[in-house]
Amino acid sequence: MGKRIKAETQPVTETKTEKTETETPVPKRPIWSGSITIGLINVPIKLYPMIYDRAVAFHFLHKVDGQPLKYERVCTKDGKVVPWNEVVKGYEVTKKEFVVFDKKELDAVKPESDSRIRVNKFVDYFSIDPTYFHTTYILMPDKSNDAYSLLLTALKKKGKACAGKITLRTKEYPAVVHAYKDTLVLTTLRYAYDIADPQGFEEIKKLKEPEKAELDLAVKIITDLSGEFDITEYKDTYRQKVKELIQKKLKGERIVVEKPVKEEARELMAALRETLKQLEKK
Amino acid sequence: MDFTNLDKTLFTRLNIKKAQVIEYYIKAAPRMLDLLKDRPIVLTRFPDGVDEKGFYEKDAPEGTPSWVKTATIYSETAKRNVNYILCNDLDTLIWLANLAAIEIHMPLSRLDSREKPDFVLFDVDPEPPASFEDAVEVAISLREKLEDLGLKPFVKTSGKKGLHIVIPIQREQTFKQTRAFAHRIGQHLMKETEIVVSELTDTKKPGKVFVDYTQNSHGRTMIAPYSLRAVPEATVSCPLEWREVKKGLKPTELNLFTVVKRENDPWKGILENRQKLEVK
Repeated sequence: MGKRIKAETQPVTETKTEKTETETPVPKRPIWSGSITIGLINVPIKLYPMIYDRAVAFHFLHKVDGQPLKYERVCTKDGKVVPWNEVVKGYEVTKKEFVVFDKKELDAVKPESDSRIRVNKFVDYFSIDPTYFHTTYILMPDKSNDAYSLLLTALKKKGKACAGKITLRTKEYPAVVHAYKDTLVLTTLRYAYDIADPQGFEEIKKLKEPEKAELDLAVKIITDLSGEFDITEYKDTYRQKVKELIQKKLKGERIVVEKPVKEEARELMAALRETLKQLEKK
Repeated sequence: MDFTNLDKTLFTRLNIKKAQVIEYYIKAAPRMLDLLKDRPIVLTRFPDGVDEKGFYEKDAPEGTPSWVKTATIYSETAKRNVNYILCNDLDTLIWLANLAAIEIHMPLSRLDSREKPDFVLFDVDPEPPASFEDAVEVAISLREKLEDLGLKPFVKTSGKKGLHIVIPIQREQTFKQTRAFAHRIGQHLMKETEIVVSELTDTKKPGKVFVDYTQNSHGRTMIAPYSLRAVPEATVSCPLEWREVKKGLKPTELNLFTVVKRENDPWKGILENRQKLEVK
């Protein structure tokens, strides 16, 4: 049965009302504010999240009484819980050998969060290899609508994007700002050295030229099946099913666990049954 | 039993995955098991597919489940005791397929009478530029010769370039005797047919068809009927009716996909009709 258990240690809140899948959330709070600086021009902006990871979040509970679990840092030597004020960071130099840092030492080398997105170039947004795209944020004007509007209009007119860098929390990222749906958005990029080079694989070097006839056929198939890419055709079916399960549980329905059998294994089972029948006849 | 890596590609050119190899052996099992019974088999395994190097395996590998029957026999070639696998049931055959044992080779004798075989084998092997069609012609003459002697031979493709002709026999002769018999028949054919050779010194003569008698030996094996072959075309060593052995027969068309769809097994009950081999 679908049991609803209330955690005793936390105040009871209302059941979350589930938003429909098509509804896009409007972010409530900026996660960063600063300004875009292009030479002497300043465009004050606020940064809002634009990308949502909509995986269903679960919490670990104690099976016996349904209470939430909490994690504690335990010393591997004596098994005792270690309070935060006794925690330091260690970098593993060799197996089980660390160099130890305290917070001050690391803070000293942190990139300076100077609240500026320094633009040094204007580039063609679509010329950037999408492999480097990390995550995208919405930019909103911060008190100065005119400056925002000016930059947005100018970028649209020239069809260009600003390239520069931004420091978010403790990390410095390459970033581009471009016009998207009449709004400025900022995309952080990955560093070139964070991307593996597929040329490192031997297989690629050994590839042979395909036969002409085979290639012609493949090209024909591609031509025949060519179409516009529509992201809304793709749905996360696992997420949908989990959501359905949650609704069933809330209604107290019983859930029958069926282990999915892979397609191949199913075919094998069918062949197996047929053969067993034949062997029995003998 | 748990299957592993079912979607591993074993035959790249035809995009055949391990699941399909297992499915093939499951379907071929009713035709294979009687013939494999009580014969210490040798495997050729291709865990990374037939385009990569495979390996021969005589010994039951580490991790062989306890329900798999094995037989410990002294191997003269390996000069040690070898723990051979016996493929006496469906479970073992499936287990072998899951090990990517593409090819199953079997001796011509069984465990209870290892010196006295129950098959005589003629391996008809064309050496280019001699072709499969030349092998077909030689096989037909060989059949006539054997039928003249009152024997009823059976035929299968090797799955590669040749044909195997076998006679199921009562277990009265030793390998030495069956070998001498096969050799003599080969020599007869050689006299009559220009293209045939049946002497070891001539095996690789270009343009000739070698009627190999030497496999009638203790410790030698034959590719098992209905075993897959580790070639890109995923062919099968497929038993045939004699009327199929004619010009236009294409051994590559007898493969993993087509063979299990053949309605009849031309070798059905082959061991129930063991013949008496008179060696003069």
